[in-house]
Amino acid sequence: MGFQKHDDFDDLAGHFVAEAGRSDAGHVMWLNRNITKNKSDRKTLAKLLAGFFDLGGYSLESWVKRRFIEKFYGKSPHPFVLALQHPSRATLLGYVVEHQHFLRQWVRSCSYIMARTDEMDVVLYELDNINTEYGGVGTGQPSHYELLLSMGESLGLDRKEVFRMAPLADTREAIRVWDSICRDDHWVEAMAAMHGLELIANRKLKGEGASIGYFDPVILKNEEISEEAKAFLREGYEADVGHSEQALSLVEKYSRLYGNMDDVQATFLRSIDYFDRYLMARLERSRQFESS
Amino acid sequence: MKVAEKGCAICQATWGDYWEEIEGQRMFFCCDICAIEFKNMVNEVKKRTGWKTLDEIKMTGNYRGRECMALYGGRRYNFSIRFDSKGGIDAFSEHA
Repeated sequence: MGFQKHDDFDDLAGHFVAEAGRSDAGHVMWLNRNITKNKSDRKTLAKLLAGFFDLGGYSLESWVKRRFIEKFYGKSPHPFVLALQHPSRATLLGYVVEHQHFLRQWVRSCSYIMARTDEMDVVLYELDNINTEYGGVGTGQPSHYELLLSMGESLGLDRKEVFRMAPLADTREAIRVWDSICRDDHWVEAMAAMHGLELIANRKLKGEGASIGYFDPVILKNEEISEEAKAFLREGYEADVGHSEQALSLVEKYSRLYGNMDDVQATFLRSIDYFDRYLMARLERSRQFESS
Repeated sequence: MKVAEKGCAICQATWGDYWEEIEGQRMFFCCDICAIEFKNMVNEVKKRTGWKTLDEIKMTGNYRGRECMALYGGRRYNFSIRFDSKGGIDAFSEHA
């Protein structure tokens, strides 16, 4: 979804009514899951859409968090998050195989943002993020990517085998969309699309309305999972509060400057829809390991 | 086969205008994905129960997962189901 005309909810509603009229699954599902299941006329839908996008006097960061919590941590939390509360070996291996593809796109996405902005605070933020996620600092501070591969090895999956496995269809499609957003859309939209996803491991969301956390923190203390799995999950647990919130603060600052907040909101919503499918792909992959 | 009086046979949404004949009956769906989901669900229940057809499937829940009861000739079959992004069955489990 996206705005053809800035802040024109009548135009956006007209687009949705037309697409729903021809039963386009993407538009109909989005309306059903976010706005209403009841067919509405253009005028009524325009009001509902305006309400959905309205910041309600709060910050863009609050709006982004609210929408993210509704989708992944609301009354029906995402099935992958439920599986990760006390993860099986198969769940963690499904995570390893699909997430290696995600992280390889991640560094590309962050690089696109850096290449397309002149703002030094954004460049510095992305550099730090890439280092944490992909580069690491020597052997003492391995990257998130290295920690992921080590987790796989601790569970009996060699990294050479991981590299040989192609992404599942939903992962591939999500990566294609993120690549396209970061390459073609405004870099502020790209920042919201990518770094908004880091909210998934933001442990503070539980104090902001999330029904559960990304995983039950007790698994970092007991013997349910390997030390390598603990190291991987702990790193995200510690880094992603800062990563997501610092990025959202930059997104807020620059979307106000460039006057493209509604585009930023729409692109963020598009990104989390594909993220939802990508998380399902982790579960789909995990089933391949259930009997092994 | 008895389906929801109003809206899509899977999600009860009234958006869309997609019709398909399933079990000899013309049914309304909001989109083609819901129609695929419904057909897959009916076929899976028929395969697991050996029933020729179904009288009704009662459902609660949402796209994250649905608790269902299939009915046929006074018999009941309880199950939960979740679909993937293309309408395929992602998870299915039987309940007593």
